[in-house]
Amino acid sequence: MKQFYAFTRDLHLYFGLFISPLVLVFAFSVFFLAHAWLPGASPTPASRTAGDLSIPAGVELLSGREQVNALRGVLDRLGVQGEVNFIRRIPNEHRLVIPVIVPGREVTVDLNLETRSAIVTSRGENMWSAMIYLHKMPGQHLANLRGNWIYLRLWRWLADATVYLALFLSVSGIYLWTVLRAERRIGLALLAAGAFSFFGLVYAIAR
Amino acid sequence: MPSPADRPVSRIVSRKSGARTLADGFKIWNRKLHYYLGLYFLFFLWMFALSGLLLNHGSWSFAQFFPNRKVTNVERTVQTPTSASDLDQAQDLLRQFGIQGEISLNAVRTDPARLDFNVSRPGHVYQIQADFTRARAKIAHTEYNAWGVLRTLHTFVGVSLDDPRIQRDWVLTTVWAYSMDAVAAGVILMVLTSFYMWWGLAGKRLFGLVALGLGTAVCWLFVFGLRWIYAG
Repeated sequence: MKQFYAFTRDLHLYFGLFISPLVLVFAFSVFFLAHAWLPGASPTPASRTAGDLSIPAGVELLSGREQVNALRGVLDRLGVQGEVNFIRRIPNEHRLVIPVIVPGREVTVDLNLETRSAIVTSRGENMWSAMIYLHKMPGQHLANLRGNWIYLRLWRWLADATVYLALFLSVSGIYLWTVLRAERRIGLALLAAGAFSFFGLVYAIAR
Repeated sequence: MPSPADRPVSRIVSRKSGARTLADGFKIWNRKLHYYLGLYFLFFLWMFALSGLLLNHGSWSFAQFFPNRKVTNVERTVQTPTSASDLDQAQDLLRQFGIQGEISLNAVRTDPARLDFNVSRPGHVYQIQADFTRARAKIAHTEYNAWGVLRTLHTFVGVSLDDPRIQRDWVLTTVWAYSMDAVAAGVILMVLTSFYMWWGLAGKRLFGLVALGLGTAVCWLFVFGLRWIYAG
C-alpha cells in the first residue's frame, strides 16, 4: 500500500510537471477566448507577388484533403508552410484563396489559376495568438481537412495526451487527498461546494 | 518563567522560529491551496477536459448530438416592440415568448417590419422570424442531447475574436465566461503551487527538471519555435 502511494505520488508529480507548460497554454488562452481580447497590436500585413507558377491541372475541381495535397507543392514553392485552414474557391475569377497557419502567424495565398500567379499576404507575429490557435486546434470544424500539416497532427496527439494526463492527475490527486485524514472534512466541503457551483450553474444555463 | 537575563536569547530564538514558522506556514498553505483548488474545481475541470476531447473527436459515434436533435416549430402572436434597436426588440420578443439565451442578430436588417434572429444556450437553439405586419412569429426550436450541451458549454462565451461586433447580451453567458476565468486562474495557481512543492523535494529535482524541461521544450516548439523555423 505504501509502495502504491509512493508510486502514485511520483507519477502525479512527474506527469504534472511534464504537462504543466501545456496546461498553462490552455489556461492563459482562456482569458483571451472568453473575452475576445488579444493583447498587442497586430503588425501591418506584408504582401508579395509571385508569378509563373506551376499549378496542377484541375486542382480547383478537387475538394477536401485531396485538394490540399494537390496544392501542397505550389505552397512549398511559394515558401509557405503550415496548416491549410480551408480553401475558398471563387469560380468566376478563377481564384483559390488559401489561408495557411503556423501557430501565431497566418499567411493567405490568393492563387490566380488563370494568370498562374499568387499574392502572398502574411499577418501576425504574436505569442498570444499562437496560444489561442493551439487552444482551438484541431477543434470541431472541417474535421476532414484538419491535420494536413505534420505539426498539427502532432499537436492533436499532444492536446489529447494533455487531457488524458490531466484526468489522471485529478483522479490520482483525489487518491492522494483521501490519504490525508485531517483534510478529509474540509476537502469534502470544498468538493461539495464545487459540485453545487458547477451543477447549479449548468442547470441555470442549460435548463 | 525565564529570568530577565534569558530575555535576549529567547528573543533571538523566537525571531528565528518566527521566520521558520512563516516559511513552514507558507509551505503548508501552498500545499493546502493546491488540493483545495483541485477539489473545488474538480467538476469544472472534468467537464472542460471531456468536452475538449469531444470537440477534437467529432467522429466519436457514442457522443453524436446533431443527428439526435429534436426540432419543434411553433407560431406565436407577437406585440410589436416599441424599442428602437434590433437587440432591444429581440429582447422584448423573448420576454413575450418566455425564452432565455444569448441573442445573435442576423445580417443587416432591410425590412423594419421583420426581425429574424437566433437565440442559443447550451442544448437549445431558437430561430425566430418575426413579422410585425401580421403580428406573428415563427419559432424553430432545436434541442440537443447531453453531448451537445457538453460541447456547447466548452465554447459558450457569447463573443468571438473573429467578429468584434458580437457582444454578450445574456447575464448567464457573462457569469459562465467569468467562471471560465476562475477555473483558468485556479489551474494556473495549481501549477505554480505544484512547482513550489516539487522544488521542496530535493531528491525529486533532477527527474522533475527532466519532465518539466521536456514539457517546456514541446510547448516552446509550438508557441514560438514553429514560427521561427518557418519564418517565411
